[in-house]
Amino acid sequence: MRGHFLRFHRWIGWPLVLGLISCAPTSDDPHRLSIWEQMEPAEQRLLHEHLQQFETEHPGVQVDVVHFETENLRNNYQTAALARTGPDLVYGPSDHVGPFSIMGLIEPLENVFSADSLALFLEDAKPSLEGHVLRLADQVGNHLTLVLNRKYVDHVPVDTEDFLEIARSNTVDENGDGKTDRYGIVFNLTEPFWLVPWLGGYGGWVMDENSKPTLDTPAMREALSFVRRLVDEGVIPPSCDYPLADTLFKQGSAAMTINGPWSWESYREQGIDIELALLPRIAGRDSWPQPMTSSKGYSLNRWIPPARHPLAVELLAFLTSARVVGRISEELGTLPSRSDVSQWPRLQANPTLHSSWAQLVKGRLMPVVPEMRVLWDVMRPGLQHVISGRLSPEEAARSMQQSALRKIEELRK
Amino acid sequence: MSRRTVAWWFLLPSALVLGAVVAWPFVYNFWISLTDLGLYTIRDGAHFIGIQQYLRVFAEPDLYRYLLRTLVWTLLNVFFHVLIGVSIALILNRPLRGRSLYRALLILPWALPQYIAALSWRGMFNYEFGSINLLLAKLHFSPIPWLSTEVGAFAAALITNIWLGFPFMMVVALGGLQSIPREMYEAAEIDGAGAWWQLRKITLPLLRPVMMPAIVLGTIWTFNNLNVMWLVTNQGEPGDSSHILVTYVYKAAFNYYRYGYAAAFSVLIFLILLGLTWINYRQASRSTYGA
Amino acid sequence: MRTRLCSLGWHLLLILLVMATIYPVLQIFSISLRPSNALYSTSLRIIPEDASFESYRVILFEKPFWIWMRNSLIVSFATAILGVTLASTSAYALSRFELRGKNPMLFGILTTQMFPATMLLLPLYLLMRNLGLVNTLLGVVLAYTATALPFCTWTMKGYYDTIPRSLEEAGLIDGLDELGAFWRITLPLAAPALVITFLFSFLAGYAEFIVARTLLVSKDLYTLPLGLESLASTFQTEWANYAAGSLLVAIPVVALFLLLSRYLVEGLTLGGVKG
Repeated sequence: MRGHFLRFHRWIGWPLVLGLISCAPTSDDPHRLSIWEQMEPAEQRLLHEHLQQFETEHPGVQVDVVHFETENLRNNYQTAALARTGPDLVYGPSDHVGPFSIMGLIEPLENVFSADSLALFLEDAKPSLEGHVLRLADQVGNHLTLVLNRKYVDHVPVDTEDFLEIARSNTVDENGDGKTDRYGIVFNLTEPFWLVPWLGGYGGWVMDENSKPTLDTPAMREALSFVRRLVDEGVIPPSCDYPLADTLFKQGSAAMTINGPWSWESYREQGIDIELALLPRIAGRDSWPQPMTSSKGYSLNRWIPPARHPLAVELLAFLTSARVVGRISEELGTLPSRSDVSQWPRLQANPTLHSSWAQLVKGRLMPVVPEMRVLWDVMRPGLQHVISGRLSPEEAARSMQQSALRKIEELRK
Repeated sequence: MSRRTVAWWFLLPSALVLGAVVAWPFVYNFWISLTDLGLYTIRDGAHFIGIQQYLRVFAEPDLYRYLLRTLVWTLLNVFFHVLIGVSIALILNRPLRGRSLYRALLILPWALPQYIAALSWRGMFNYEFGSINLLLAKLHFSPIPWLSTEVGAFAAALITNIWLGFPFMMVVALGGLQSIPREMYEAAEIDGAGAWWQLRKITLPLLRPVMMPAIVLGTIWTFNNLNVMWLVTNQGEPGDSSHILVTYVYKAAFNYYRYGYAAAFSVLIFLILLGLTWINYRQASRSTYGA
Repeated sequence: MRTRLCSLGWHLLLILLVMATIYPVLQIFSISLRPSNALYSTSLRIIPEDASFESYRVILFEKPFWIWMRNSLIVSFATAILGVTLASTSAYALSRFELRGKNPMLFGILTTQMFPATMLLLPLYLLMRNLGLVNTLLGVVLAYTATALPFCTWTMKGYYDTIPRSLEEAGLIDGLDELGAFWRITLPLAAPALVITFLFSFLAGYAEFIVARTLLVSKDLYTLPLGLESLASTFQTEWANYAAGSLLVAIPVVALFLLLSRYLVEGLTLGGVKG
């Protein structure tokens, strides 16, 4: 027994020691930049092409890219930057940058870019907090739209009643086994991101201009009642979360879904003939649902070694330059973050971009203040309780507002 | 080398590793728990505020509910891990054909990455389309609303975690069974004792010393197990009702940046576990080690 | 006749247990066969209609799977060897010697596991940065060893306690010194505990995610869980590849277990020696 174990050691011993000793180079190299991102696969592919271009134009420079899942990116960037290390650029959605800025983990961009160059970006593309520009986007939007499966739906719903009618007529039990085989509409019922458009549609919003929550409002109650009504009418499976909505729509078992730009291509790949449409106007009123819009882009680490700082700024400028932004928009169907690019004729002619733009105009920018995080966290349980029937829309709206006030208070403790 | 020198040299390296990797971060956290470190203070430096964070922790209205839920979660998990693990080990310890095939298949839950396992369990618990409810329907049972009720979500996470955890106890028990001298069974058989008597009077008591560490530490790990609950219930579905203490700490620290508060909460969790384990340990050492 | 029936019964029971155990594994297998990257399915079929093994090809030949596997194996074997070495020695000291403060020490080892691990990440990161061990495999190995040591030490100690001391004393009389008695007599008898310890420390590092995610950033150093994360994103996760990768990840563990289980359950029949 002893002999056997020893032989085992000898067999793997040396490779092991060699593997452990091989360390990565230190992070002070002035020619080696790094980016941490949470991109979708198609975005990652484009980023790599663009970085190759950058490296060709800057001989001797190398850019490392590390991919993270969204929450892991936030946690790890926080840890690394609190320890005064981390990547040069961090790429992510709007909700991260507010806290990063308050904690002093990212550098305000008005310090490094001229007012003229910042002026080229759309308002949505340069979120700011307390007068600091936190981030420059390479795309704006990221908002939900209605997606129709043209096999089942022949016209764009005019308003929410028409939408319900289409949904009802497409909720069918094809083989008569008593179970629904096709649903009228599927979308993620567990996340308030899918509730917010209706909230806006009924004339409400998540917070006022002083970042005070405004959740216990008639608009919230109506929005919750509307989603609840979809469940009661049986046109959406009550247990519908993101993966289920995705699965059902991809396999052609749903007539409509509500999803963002990241998903459209994957539906086409599955052979679904999709049409993008505006989320339907609220019946009996002249108001439209307001999906939350946001942008994704790059922030600058506060702790970049001075020797590398100019190069890092140059990389950020390159990755948000007109040619890169334009290319991303063309390839991925996302909306460009720069006003000069959005004028390009060939982008204006693109039907996907056109529909997306139409929806964006109806949308509303996601706040970057840290309070937003709290609002997501209190709307989530409220929404879920309304879906499961445990709380009425009135009760849910009240409890959302109460916990929001309490948790925002706690943020300062 | 003298006996004593050997002993100390044997202990030193472990003490160093544990001291560096665990003790120091612990001290660091304890220090943080006495400050107001958080979103708005992190940039300019936190202030020492004494035990205020601890007072906040105790004022948390949901604290006792989460604590109770965590205790039930821990108890049920460890109970089933041990029950299933030891039972399978006992069966596999008999001379059966194909034992190693069974063993290899039964260890799979331990070998798979938890993330995908927990998510695919979540899919199986779906109300309309999950395979568990589909199977129940085939057997003419009515479907169970697993993830949309508090009890259902808890049960779903529990089942998932039992599935993930029993192979570990099985392996420990298999090893432990080898420490029992065979003569004891032979002697018992000569005395005409039945299988049940042998199990109760020989196997289980003698398995204890080897199982004890796994049970004590299994309790601690389950108490602090964040992943499974988090993934199966999709961060506390339905409506934040399926939290345990650690998921709450995680939210405070990573979603709300309340580092001081989360550190104080963690110290409390540490003290609770310290108390529980101490009781456990005293009893165990009295009965097993005769100390 | 009775024993044969009995054994048939045990087999039936085992088969039931195995089925319950591997059903979720089959679900993961089913995900790996779906080219649509659908995480859920709406039917009980394991093999979907459009089943394809494409994901396995992609994982094995297009993704740097072998680099992840190499790193994971390096980390796990190093953790296991370090864990077994440290645990078997320190547990021996705790089992065989009357040391002052032995009981507090034993209990103290347990306390290291009680603090919620996520809260230890930031200080751990600061520590590793100061030691220059961020972004090195050695750094994660040390962290994993610390995770695995308490259980390993306790298990080894529990097992040593069941081995009669008289055997070592006999060895000492035969001219072995303390180290010799430990090495030649006690350690081989503790083979099952060594296997448990080895397997446990191996797995402590093999599929661990959070510590690895915090400490490792270079792609060349990615372990398997980090590699799998690179397939995930908020909305468009490559579920088929992810599932295929996960199943491939399990293979070395099962293989290792089969290799070691000889010593776990059939090794030296201790009873005979102990009597």
